[in-house]
Amino acid sequence: MFIINCPFCGERDQSEFSSGGEAHIVRPKQPTELSDDEWAEYLFMRKNIKGIQFERWNHAHGCRKWFNMVRDTSNDKIHAIYKMGEKPPVK
Amino acid sequence: MLNINYPKIDKKSYNDIELSLEEPLIKINLRGKKKDFFTKVGKILSIILPTESNTSSSNEKFTAMWLSPDEWMIYSKDNNQNIIFDELYNEISKLNHGSITNVSDQWVCINLKGKNIYEMLSTACPFDFTKFKANKNSTTQTLVNHIDVIIHHKEENNLNLFVRRSFSEHLWLWLNDSAKFI
Ligand SMILES: [Zn+2]
Repeated sequence: MFIINCPFCGERDQSEFSSGGEAHIVRPKQPTELSDDEWAEYLFMRKNIKGIQFERWNHAHGCRKWFNMVRDTSNDKIHAIYKMGEKPPVK
Repeated sequence: MLNINYPKIDKKSYNDIELSLEEPLIKINLRGKKKDFFTKVGKILSIILPTESNTSSSNEKFTAMWLSPDEWMIYSKDNNQNIIFDELYNEISKLNHGSITNVSDQWVCINLKGKNIYEMLSTACPFDFTKFKANKNSTTQTLVNHIDVIIHHKEENNLNLFVRRSFSEHLWLWLNDSAKFI
């Protein structure tokens, strides 16, 4: 269990949120021109990092808004939280 | 057809906890961002929608609860509910200023009263009520016994708890059960 600071509601328990996987994956501009492998790469392949990962989260049982999070997957330490459309504040 | 007799909720009293059904209530969900949306809502309901998170605003007739930066729920005991809803719908939804949905039957309102209500809720709720308790008119959306709820701080030790109708019987039974052990 850990606390997540929703950019809209403030600090809430993790159980109110749901994870939306890796963030900043850009949809290819011309999907029809991609090979099956390239399309699968976009659709299914994720980095699944041990360490600092950029993720999307949804405050599912609160304001139901999406936002981004920088989280260390090895110890659940949250390094930053920022709104959708914003640039990641840490590298 | 909606079964208005479901769930069966009668007033119950326990050790400094009083549970009762707070119905019938009109409940309307409002969504919008545009300036026109706020102007129209203000005009029709004579209320300013709260923009600060986890708060609400009230006048004699309505309470408007903040749900998200572009979503609110208003509730009222006023029985001219269709007139109010139609007016909002025609002035906002139809003109594309925002979206208005009548959720009166979707949500059931249960009133919780008494000194021990926070202690009871906290046995199955991840929300920290410390700040919430200190401010009248605070609201929150959270989980109680894994069920989604909206809670409005009406008065000291007096809460209106909104739960989806399909979950209401389950939550009602849980509330009664837990109240016995506080
Ligand atoms: Zn939130």
